[in-house]
Amino acid sequence: MMKLKAFRIRNFRSIVDTGWQNISPDNITCLIGQNESGKTSVLESLKVFYSGIISEDVLRSDLSLPEVSCRFTIPKGWLINITDNPGTELKELLSGLTQLELTRSWIADLSSVINVSGEISQYLDSLEDAWRIYLNDVTIKLDEEMISIRDLETTFSGLIEEESDIRSKLSENEGAKSGFWLFWKKPAEVGNQKNSHFPGLKNKLNEIKKQKEEINEILLKKQLIKRAGEKWKKLEEKCTQADNHLKNISVKLEERHQKMTLLMRPVEDEEDYEWKEVLYDFRKTRSDREIRMAEIESHIAFSGYIIDGSTEEEAEKMVEEVIQSYRSHLNSAILGKKYFDYSPVFELFEDFGSLLPNRIDMEDIISGNVNVEGYKAARNFLSLAQVDYSFFQQPSSRILKQKIENLNHTLTHNFHDFWQQSIGRNNKIQIQFELDHYNASYEGKAGKPYLEFWIKDEGERLYPKQRSRGVRWFLSFYMELMASANIRDKQIVLLVDEPGVSLHARAQEDVLKVFEKIKDKIQIIYTTHSPHLVEINKLHRVLAVQRDDLDSRRSASRILDPLQLSLASPDTLTPLQSILGNPMGGEEFSSKRFNLIVNDTGSFYMLNAIILLMGFTGKVCVIPSTNVSSIPLLCNIMMGWGLDFSVLLFENDDEIQIAELLKNSVFKTDTNNKTELIIRMPENFLNSEDLLSTLDFKNHLLQSREGITVPNSVYIREKELPRNFILSRFLSNVKEGKIKATDFDEETLENFKLITGVFGELK
Amino acid sequence: MSVEKQDNPGLLSLLPDKEMKDHIASLRYAKMIQHALMPNPAMLKGMLKDYFILFLPRDIVSGDFYYAYCTRQKMCIAAGDCTGHGVPGALMSILGISFLNEIMQSDVNLNANRILNLMREKIMKALHQTGDYRDAQDSIDIGICIIDCPTGKLQYSGANRPLIMIRNGELSEFKPDKMTLGVAPIREASFTNLCIETKPGDSFYLFSDGFSDQFGEITDKKFKYKHFKRIIHSFEELPMEQQKQRLECAFNEWKGNTQQTDDVLIVGFQL
Repeated sequence: MMKLKAFRIRNFRSIVDTGWQNISPDNITCLIGQNESGKTSVLESLKVFYSGIISEDVLRSDLSLPEVSCRFTIPKGWLINITDNPGTELKELLSGLTQLELTRSWIADLSSVINVSGEISQYLDSLEDAWRIYLNDVTIKLDEEMISIRDLETTFSGLIEEESDIRSKLSENEGAKSGFWLFWKKPAEVGNQKNSHFPGLKNKLNEIKKQKEEINEILLKKQLIKRAGEKWKKLEEKCTQADNHLKNISVKLEERHQKMTLLMRPVEDEEDYEWKEVLYDFRKTRSDREIRMAEIESHIAFSGYIIDGSTEEEAEKMVEEVIQSYRSHLNSAILGKKYFDYSPVFELFEDFGSLLPNRIDMEDIISGNVNVEGYKAARNFLSLAQVDYSFFQQPSSRILKQKIENLNHTLTHNFHDFWQQSIGRNNKIQIQFELDHYNASYEGKAGKPYLEFWIKDEGERLYPKQRSRGVRWFLSFYMELMASANIRDKQIVLLVDEPGVSLHARAQEDVLKVFEKIKDKIQIIYTTHSPHLVEINKLHRVLAVQRDDLDSRRSASRILDPLQLSLASPDTLTPLQSILGNPMGGEEFSSKRFNLIVNDTGSFYMLNAIILLMGFTGKVCVIPSTNVSSIPLLCNIMMGWGLDFSVLLFENDDEIQIAELLKNSVFKTDTNNKTELIIRMPENFLNSEDLLSTLDFKNHLLQSREGITVPNSVYIREKELPRNFILSRFLSNVKEGKIKATDFDEETLENFKLITGVFGELK
Repeated sequence: MSVEKQDNPGLLSLLPDKEMKDHIASLRYAKMIQHALMPNPAMLKGMLKDYFILFLPRDIVSGDFYYAYCTRQKMCIAAGDCTGHGVPGALMSILGISFLNEIMQSDVNLNANRILNLMREKIMKALHQTGDYRDAQDSIDIGICIIDCPTGKLQYSGANRPLIMIRNGELSEFKPDKMTLGVAPIREASFTNLCIETKPGDSFYLFSDGFSDQFGEITDKKFKYKHFKRIIHSFEELPMEQQKQRLECAFNEWKGNTQQTDDVLIVGFQL
């Protein structure tokens, strides 16, 4: 259901960021590049996208954490079926999606999480953003309220002080009245002197009392807010503590990674216990922090309702509602996890893990004992033979032997479809298996059945291990792939690192045959240095991997798609140039000029005549294809040589079909680029001769006066005229100056301007 | 007036009565078909401020034809004059109308000269004309206008038929290419496309040479093109329908009792 369309790898070994790289739409993608360029890293990163398991040695020296994203094509509307209660807006979004992005990102402890990315996460992020804005607004309000409460409380304490001051003054006055002598004056005299302030103080006291009551009333009302604010501060404090703790642990994690990546030596065993503790601490703190963050968010929302005047009970209830309204129950991680269940299986073909054993016990096969040598290969073998345990329960040994013989014959026959090599002239190998039982000499196993494998030729019957490495590799490879294609009900992305290194060139081509056979069921991404593993007419399958700075191994890897091969170094392109030969020198195919591929030689003459007639001086090199169907091949050659080019296509049926083919397979990168690479002429131009008006066509090409009511190209075809000859004569007349631009009518000149305008835009 | 007189059947009068009546009936039916092929003048009503079509066939059927094709954006008006008159002219006119329809329906955005270029190809092909002296020498002279309604720009292209414009009482003539739609002694070249920025109130006239080539009863001389222009100019202030009446009166007055020399067609329209 989900098919890999593109990938993006970040911070994985030598890779900083590959950008989105489309894999070939015909399911076979080939990575070329020098040693240490990063090809294997691409395969491994895709493998760990699926498994999630990485070790420190994949980290870059700056310790930035890896992230691998895959874009899958999906049937329209499929996501709705597998998403639980998506909600109206999300449902609408999901119903229109035809591709899905999943990103696996790793964190400091090298555990990982799969998130849905792309459009879905953008939508979820927008919800999250709205929630954050809401929380931020409430936080600001809460902060203001807390400041206001603090101010009121300060004012209140100030009033209390002032009140006590006034009271003490008043009590002094009261004391004087009760009849003490102050020095030589009578109490009444002193009293009279102070009594002048007495009513003022009393008034002030009343005023303070009134203010205090007012403030107290406000503070009483804000008691709930104060409590909420205080709790918020406490929660924040806890969160900050968790943050600080995480920072401290991160330093330790980094130190550990540094040891692995910079010092390039394994961490000593005795540190492991301590390390596990650190890891446990990190994970616990991180999980605690997440819980606290959620608690803070919930509390802020709660505070919002308290500020608005709700009681605590009401606020509690409403918090749940507001969280649900802002936050989908689905987030990127939940959806990522859900969708990942449907992801294709990314499998790295392991060369010798799948080698066919000489012998394997039936017991091990039946019990699925993966640890026994050759289990996987034996399982693949039986799967390929479409045999299960019940097959061996045949009571008649004669019938069973006959069945096995038939199967051996079929297996060998099928294998020969892919393995072309012979020993000598006609001696082809045969694969066989036999069922036998241990004799009494095998203690504990006597009488038990086992399978024995043979690779025979006319001269010899040998165990697999006695055969050459190449034969064993190819057989294992063949079995693994064919079995995978047969038994899996899930889409598989098979990653193969340098297949067929030990194979003869011819057998390497057989590897491609196997790929072709299974490509409808399995997507294959493989790396190679071999020109025999790249098909000349399918360079759209090629991704070139090379270092940014070719002289430095420390520089980052980058991936160049087939249309960017002009940026690749000659060494990177070696396999391609081995199959294509070296670009011709001189003016015809040039890296200094822009190459414009046209349908045939006739158009080559026509366009060159136009270039001369219009005095066009741009650096355009018109390259004729031998015919329309050869255009993709020529594109492949141009890509392989790393030359800049575009294809000029006219609006006839053949070229319309080729345009689709180029768009969908050869030029499989982004849409904009495709447009630049394919220049489509308007629909009234069926071929290059239609650039001339009928009149000019008659006057300068046909030199006839017959009425023509069909497009020029149709006329040539219907009358079976020698097109190349006519157009070459036209070019020659133009070169000799017999025909000038002024001889053409305005319609033709407009068309010429259109075409030179197209040339002018080629860069 | 007898049937013969009215329809000016010429040589038909030499045929026996029964046969002559059959032929006349057949020609009248052909006339209906020819008229049906030409556009209903009413279709121009909404598109033009005012217009008239003065169509005076010499015989029952005519070698002159008018043509109109309208879309929301564009309007094409043409007046054609086929070689000969009567039945051969009518057959050519049907060819011309069909080709114009075919071309306009295939692409309404063609320039006026491109329409004529295409039409010439079609005619040459239909008549198997290759420039050989033994080829049929039939052809069509035509003036064609394409009016771009939103911008008011008018394109004119003419095969031996000019266009007259009257703006603010001033008469201007747009000369045609001296080529016909069909084979000619000189090699074919592209027709010229003239672009005219029109103004509201501008009047245009497309016409065949029937009016100016008409011999007068009294003078036994042709009416002449310069007089035709003068008479058009003199009526310019009148509404189109009245111009048509005055032109028809002037023509009949000039012709008197002489035979009509050729088919007469004048298409006048005001923007």
